Amino acid sequence: MGSNAIRVMVAKPGLDGHDRGAKVIAYALRDAGMEVVYTGLRHSPEEIVNAAVQEDVDAVGLSILSGAHLPLTEKVMAGLAAAGQDKEIAVFVGGTIPERDVAALKKMGVAGVFPTGTPLNEIVPAIKDAVAARRGAGA
Amino acid sequence: MSRGTWIFPPEPSLRLIVDTIEYCLKHAPRFNPISVAGAHFHDAGATVVQDLAYTLADGITYVQCCIDRGLKVDEFAPLISFFFYTHNDFFEEVAKYRAGRRLWARLMKERFGARDPRAQMFRFGVVCGGSTLTAQQPQNNIVRVAYQALASVLGGVQSMFTAAWDEPFAIPTEQSAELALRTQQVLAYETGVASVADPLGGSYYVEALTDRVEREARAIIDRIEKLGGMVPCIQSGLIQKEIAAEAYRYQKRVESGEQIVIGVNRFARPEPERRLELYQADTAAADRQRESLARVRATRDSQRVTTALAALREAARGNENLMPPISEAVKAYASVGEICGVLRREFGTFKEPVGL
Repeated sequence: MGSNAIRVMVAKPGLDGHDRGAKVIAYALRDAGMEVVYTGLRHSPEEIVNAAVQEDVDAVGLSILSGAHLPLTEKVMAGLAAAGQDKEIAVFVGGTIPERDVAALKKMGVAGVFPTGTPLNEIVPAIKDAVAARRGAGA
Repeated sequence: MSRGTWIFPPEPSLRLIVDTIEYCLKHAPRFNPISVAGAHFHDAGATVVQDLAYTLADGITYVQCCIDRGLKVDEFAPLISFFFYTHNDFFEEVAKYRAGRRLWARLMKERFGARDPRAQMFRFGVVCGGSTLTAQQPQNNIVRVAYQALASVLGGVQSMFTAAWDEPFAIPTEQSAELALRTQQVLAYETGVASVADPLGGSYYVEALTDRVEREARAIIDRIEKLGGMVPCIQSGLIQKEIAAEAYRYQKRVESGEQIVIGVNRFARPEPERRLELYQADTAAADRQRESLARVRATRDSQRVTTALAALREAARGNENLMPPISEAVKAYASVGEICGVLRREFGTFKEPVGL
């Protein structure tokens, strides 16, 4: 257990103040045995990248309900790449994400997108699988 | 809180609220300077009882701060109104509003000594929709909002906002927003429900439920007061934690099927490829706003701006009412960002505890 547990950071980038979903996800991941860090509201992509690297997380979940998911995610991905962590850290995006933007997010390297209405029992295994795949590749 | 739009810590925020009320009393007595909001608690996960209790506890805090400032309760209390979300549990929501009227009137009369009946009134507006809207079978949201609107009217609402069915995905389109408006117009002008006050009064069930909500909300308010009131409860993150825990409990009930949500865990079907006509944000709007701001900055009297912002800083350090210096800064074309920037440097910003 302990050191093997998946470490996830749930983050709220930008000015969006809605975090009901982010907190529900955080609780669910914790109940699934993961170690969860929640950043709280209104963080810049730079702050999120720095915190993710510092906390040595396996995955980052970005919760965005503001409509600014494309530019914010792009900045997080670029920041992780610049820190040489884009292969190590799996990034997921959830929130008010229209279907038309899912492909664009995936193209940026996002491991999974969870639009409004995605059940917890889809999100938890998706994160487990992505992290397992990355740990397997790194080993 | 809950809506995540705070800037300053609770104490300077309370000062700004009392400043606004005090200023309006003198200069804009017919303006409602404050809407005490429970909406965001409920939409973030709070139960009906928590929603009402936290909101009234906030209301108590505002009233006490106004009294501490030396304002007279019969003069300022009629300017206070409330704001809620109406969710799906029909009779519980009706009971929430009925219990709210009783609790507030009693608090104002017995605790704060209000004599004027207008100072005991629990006037409120609502939003119908919010987190009860689903992405699955989204047009079901039209029906949800209509029932929520009906519950609000039967509960005695003064004004309402009905959300559009496509809001789980984006800002509404013109068409969906118009349909949401028509939903309340049908209710207001065709059904006749708005022509009678408290039509469910006397119903054994609604009366019993009202008593229960009142009793349970009263217990939460008492507990908050024992902990020193809403301010320390927000600073410690207690309220935020209770709301988030409730949101998670609700989600687990939905996922287990115990809480029925039509189109989500009952009467669901494979979702067809969605071809919704969703609102598309105008990406040039941000550029236009930046240009407009740059234009204002280039043409305004910068000396007047500097003087006004310096005066605001001085006022913030003391304890005079901040509305006149803010008003002067606005007249000088200082931006909202510049005005808040001055106050941010004086007051600091609130760091919400984020413990789960």
